[in-house]
Amino acid sequence: MSTSPVSSTSDKVVATPPRRPTSADIELLAFAQSAELSARDLYEQAVAAGAGGDQVASLVALGAHHDAYAQSLSALLGTDAPRERNDVLFSALTTGFGPDTESMALAAHGLENTLVVTHTDLLGLLEGTEGAALVASILIGESRHCAAMAALAGKSPVSDIDLFLKTSEVDSLAPKA
Amino acid sequence: MSDFNRDELRRALRDTADHRRDALGPIVEATRGLNFTRSLSRRRFFIAGGATVSFAALVAACGGSESAGIARLGDAPTPNKLVEADVTDIALLRTATSLEHNAIFVYEAVARAGVLSGDAAEIAKRFLDDHRSHAEATASLTTGLGGTAYSKPNPRLQSIYIDPALTLILGDEETGVPATDDPAADVLALAYALETIAGATYQAYVPLLDDKSLRAAAMGIGDQEARHAALLGVVLNPGRLVSSMGLPIAAEYQEDTDSPAAAYASPSAFGTQAPVPVTLGAPGETGTRTTVNLETPSLNSMIYEYLDNEG
Repeated sequence: MSTSPVSSTSDKVVATPPRRPTSADIELLAFAQSAELSARDLYEQAVAAGAGGDQVASLVALGAHHDAYAQSLSALLGTDAPRERNDVLFSALTTGFGPDTESMALAAHGLENTLVVTHTDLLGLLEGTEGAALVASILIGESRHCAAMAALAGKSPVSDIDLFLKTSEVDSLAPKA
Repeated sequence: MSDFNRDELRRALRDTADHRRDALGPIVEATRGLNFTRSLSRRRFFIAGGATVSFAALVAACGGSESAGIARLGDAPTPNKLVEADVTDIALLRTATSLEHNAIFVYEAVARAGVLSGDAAEIAKRFLDDHRSHAEATASLTTGLGGTAYSKPNPRLQSIYIDPALTLILGDEETGVPATDDPAADVLALAYALETIAGATYQAYVPLLDDKSLRAAAMGIGDQEARHAALLGVVLNPGRLVSSMGLPIAAEYQEDTDSPAAAYASPSAFGTQAPVPVTLGAPGETGTRTTVNLETPSLNSMIYEYLDNEG
């Protein structure tokens, strides 16, 4: 946050990052928006199929969260926002988001972990601070989703604590730099 | 000038002379009889007086320290030079490390006091281990940048949040603060707020970090802190995992209250940097309990490197 255009941390000189997304950032953030819209559609599909039990309101809220992420990315990207879901991601996960709450919650747990890993990777690629700040705030939300889905799947916060706390060994969806 | 009246000119000169005589008369009178080495005519008096005043003004302007100079009230203190305190990546990482040590302090204090038992104690032990790992990670990142790793709790956060909160929970005989009625519940509530703030701190640092590779590293830890908070949200409020507050969803899925619960696994869509209130301690005389608002470290809570030399 140094005020000069170039700051020095010990012997390492680092240029102050730009605020607005660069052209490379726009591609990465557009990808993130498509992934968020896929997640929204998957939760809506699960609710429509009857998943959730007494926590159906929580699933509806999670669908709304992912929609909010997509809308925020639209606000940042403007006309560069794709505003459409990633069909490859949606098709790969659609069978997991059925009526059975426990299996759906485990599928959602996997999806949220994948999004967390993907967004962590994006943070290492994004240049602009506005895009990075938005992705960081989405990442915190999705980290908490992971624990919520572990609970919805009936897992114990004590004996299954790693499912709540550890980021699963999942592949990042982030485009390579 | 040719039409200037000579009589008027003479009158004016005479009046001026009279005026000078009237004004100087008392001075001449006052100095009469003094032992001047030379006689002091009015003309010499003026020349000498003028020279004295001019010399005094010159000395004063030159700032001669031994001169009484022109009278003034008080002395301006020498201004202290302000320290350069840039919010560098190193300062951010050191502050993050200090926050990890605040969390370590809390979980160690709670373990020593034996407040938690069973599942809650196991969860707290796991969180303690995680925070120790986080502190090592942020310290390693600090030294990797050429900085000096910090290894103590953040003193400001300790004094304004942690110590008062622990006093409300455990009580303090010296100051007459009674222990809370349900220490285990209060510890979990404090831990929920602390973990939420820890995650929010790493989130807040992302746009402040100049080195983008550090952003991913920081949020790798922020992710863990957020999961700690979410797990506690599950424990504290298992009936409603995700808050509906502020979401544009159908009324049938909205919570039947205008006030959010104290904890959720997921309290909001985005990670926020808003203060996290936590209500602690025994009820006071009016039956109300104390609410402490935990906040992410501000600029005056940063662990700048220059502070290492200030004891």
